[in-house]
Amino acid sequence: MRKKKLKRLDILLFLFFVGLRCWPASVCAQIHPQDTEWPSYAADLAGTRYRPLDQINAANFSDLEIAWRIKTDNFGDRPEYKLEGTPLMVNGVLYATAGSRRAVIALDPATGELLWIHGEREGKRGGSAPRQLSGRGLAYWSDGKEERILYVTPGFRLICVDAKTGVRVPSFGDNGEVDLKVNDDQDIFPDLITGEIGMQSAPVVAKDTVIIGAAFREGMTPKSMRNNKGYVRGFDVRTGKRLWIFHTIPKKGEFGYDSWEKGSAEYTGNTGVWTQITVDEQLGLVYLPVESPTSDFYGGHRPGNNLFGETLVCVDLKTGERKWHFQLVHHPLWDMDISSAPILADITVDGKPVKAVAQPSKQGFLYVFDRLTGKPIWPIPERPVEVGNVPGEWYSATQPIPTKPAAYSRNGVSIDDLIDFTPALRDRAMEIASKYHLGPVFTPPTVSKLGGPLGTLTMGTASGGTNWPGGSYDPETHNVYVYACNSCIEPIGLVPAPKEISDLNYVAGTAGKEVQVLHGPGENAGADSPKPPTKRTGGGYVALNLDGLPLVKPPYGTITAINLDKGEFVWQIAHGETPDVVRNNEALKGLNIPRTGQETYNIGTLVTKTLIIAGEGHVTTTADHPRGAMLRAYDKATGKEVGAVYMPAPQTGSPMTYMVHGKQYIVVAVSGGPYSGEYIAYTLPSTGE
Amino acid sequence: MFHRPEGHDHVKMKNVAAILVLAALASRFGLLRAQGPAAESRTAWDGVYTEDQAKRGELIYHKECAACHGDMLAGRESAPPLTGGAFLANWNGLTMGDLFDRIRKTMPQSAPGRLTRQQDADILAFMLSVNKFPAGKTELYRQSEMLREIRFEATKPASKK
Repeated sequence: MRKKKLKRLDILLFLFFVGLRCWPASVCAQIHPQDTEWPSYAADLAGTRYRPLDQINAANFSDLEIAWRIKTDNFGDRPEYKLEGTPLMVNGVLYATAGSRRAVIALDPATGELLWIHGEREGKRGGSAPRQLSGRGLAYWSDGKEERILYVTPGFRLICVDAKTGVRVPSFGDNGEVDLKVNDDQDIFPDLITGEIGMQSAPVVAKDTVIIGAAFREGMTPKSMRNNKGYVRGFDVRTGKRLWIFHTIPKKGEFGYDSWEKGSAEYTGNTGVWTQITVDEQLGLVYLPVESPTSDFYGGHRPGNNLFGETLVCVDLKTGERKWHFQLVHHPLWDMDISSAPILADITVDGKPVKAVAQPSKQGFLYVFDRLTGKPIWPIPERPVEVGNVPGEWYSATQPIPTKPAAYSRNGVSIDDLIDFTPALRDRAMEIASKYHLGPVFTPPTVSKLGGPLGTLTMGTASGGTNWPGGSYDPETHNVYVYACNSCIEPIGLVPAPKEISDLNYVAGTAGKEVQVLHGPGENAGADSPKPPTKRTGGGYVALNLDGLPLVKPPYGTITAINLDKGEFVWQIAHGETPDVVRNNEALKGLNIPRTGQETYNIGTLVTKTLIIAGEGHVTTTADHPRGAMLRAYDKATGKEVGAVYMPAPQTGSPMTYMVHGKQYIVVAVSGGPYSGEYIAYTLPSTGE
Repeated sequence: MFHRPEGHDHVKMKNVAAILVLAALASRFGLLRAQGPAAESRTAWDGVYTEDQAKRGELIYHKECAACHGDMLAGRESAPPLTGGAFLANWNGLTMGDLFDRIRKTMPQSAPGRLTRQQDADILAFMLSVNKFPAGKTELYRQSEMLREIRFEATKPASKK
């Protein structure tokens, strides 16, 4: 990668100097500088989401106009409302996944014209998939002659198509496909059609190796302690042949097997890598962010630390052999999946150059390691944590807690965190909080009881902090820029699982509420005649908000700039307009409330030569704009907002940027609520010349 | 909508057009205000569902929706919350018809449209109750076009206090 990267850097530097020489943009257009590409999901395999473009800048960001847009409704048999993709732009073509069938589309990056579409009709196999809809993206590969696009279908098949035509490449696998449910060192049960395993993230291609993780259903109320396992595999990008496999749950005799007591490694599943994988091609190292083992919140059937659950694992790109690992959470009980791409950063600490890897997290810690050795850059000591009393549970008495950088978002709930706009609101929040067990990061779940506690009130767990969009990294300033939900409260209560529902002792739930498991398609078929609902045992709904107001103080969502040379914050801002329910709230009339940001966890950031760019996750209606959301730009040095442009719906896929024919574009996926998925490309107005 | 006797279409349509123009003018000048409050648009704060309906909806919700949206409607990675700020923001200023149609078109994810209109309306009634919209004396409609006449307002209008 170094060689390739240097090449790219040369091009970028060239572009930069051309950019300096040929301002204004109209002059640039005549010079036709070379395109700037976005060749993989996170811009590069280092997970940076960085492109040093500057045609769109602080002076003109608010002038951006829509260059083209494409609705994804017809790329599937129904519209989708959760479009999470980030397109690629390589060699003058834009590629993206789109629609409820997860089609691949190729577009002209300047006009949005549809060049080709590839879709796979998977029938029941697609319909039973644990992770449906369009997914997050795809991968591009070229040897200089051939160009290929690779993606994983909802039904868990790796498809390879010709990037020029969208037609399957016959020499890859079985006529262009590799069935990912086989040759996986396990028998996917119950069968290949309905067997629970899939993937919604974009594959990674590094040095002719395609790397594929695995994802499952949400894991809070599984039917069984037994599930399929999420191994990671490498495949030859030319032939589709499996090159290696890494057992994220070790097999007998392998390192880490002992961390699953009572033989629980045999039947426990999940523990996949469902988010983006990062690669250092030069070092030949792959960084795997591993998720939680089976049952997000109850680990009584898997005593022990459970390697490699919630562990950052470094493996060899050629062989898949483990080089080092660091378990972020021992014996996971909080759904602290490592949820986003590790970020590779070449930094300078105490005057010494360090090749580092920085891992954002749901729990708001940015874990920073030497990426060759796995040694923490700043100490991450084991600290004692609360041990709970859920029957049958196994607890780790300590957890690793970074000393630096400080947590960039809330990862626990205390009375001090509760809303304090008015005494009345605070009283109501205290009343709600009193029904729960509170505490700092790693406060364990409780059994849910009608008389209290209903559970543990947590932040920085299942949906807090940074989720799949991950962070950005700026190789110029050595800053990580990372969005976090600072108000995503997660009540974690456990209820005994009825035997007809699950073979686990406990699953997530609230006292008095029925325990439900996900129904697969076909179950309960026979429209209009559902079985009579079963009995209810009572218990009210404790809304964890106050008429739409978050239970905790603002800021609700933040972007933080963290300098990796020093391990310190450079700035932190609230990201997103103050929600309508706050601005229009009768109870808050007359109060001067600074911008609060928004309670949402799936915001991705883009970093350019000068800007941090991120859209909003909520719809608002203000004096400045009709119902919609804003794509905002901040000065990357200070965090000061320098511009904003209107989007018809919230950002649901992370923005990317590229340059073609002398023009810079920003593409972002929007959707949600009543608005079906759409990719929108923004560019500067034409100069009229 | 209009009865159209055979053979008189042309004439009839002209008449209809004239009536519509008159009606539009009349309404603009306030001549039809005699219809009273019923003609004013309703919002989700006007008691547009019943408690019984919400209870029916609760049972269906727990059977059909809770696995993804959570037993407290708080949402998950794979499904958005159906309560709280993000939910209210998504639908604020739109109509109950928009929300109802979204459910009908896309839910449950494994088999969209499998539930009846009545079941969808009951689920929606339950969602309204959890979001603290007041119950009333009449059930929530199951016809999209009628639901489109009820606005979804995230915050209680001052006049309703």
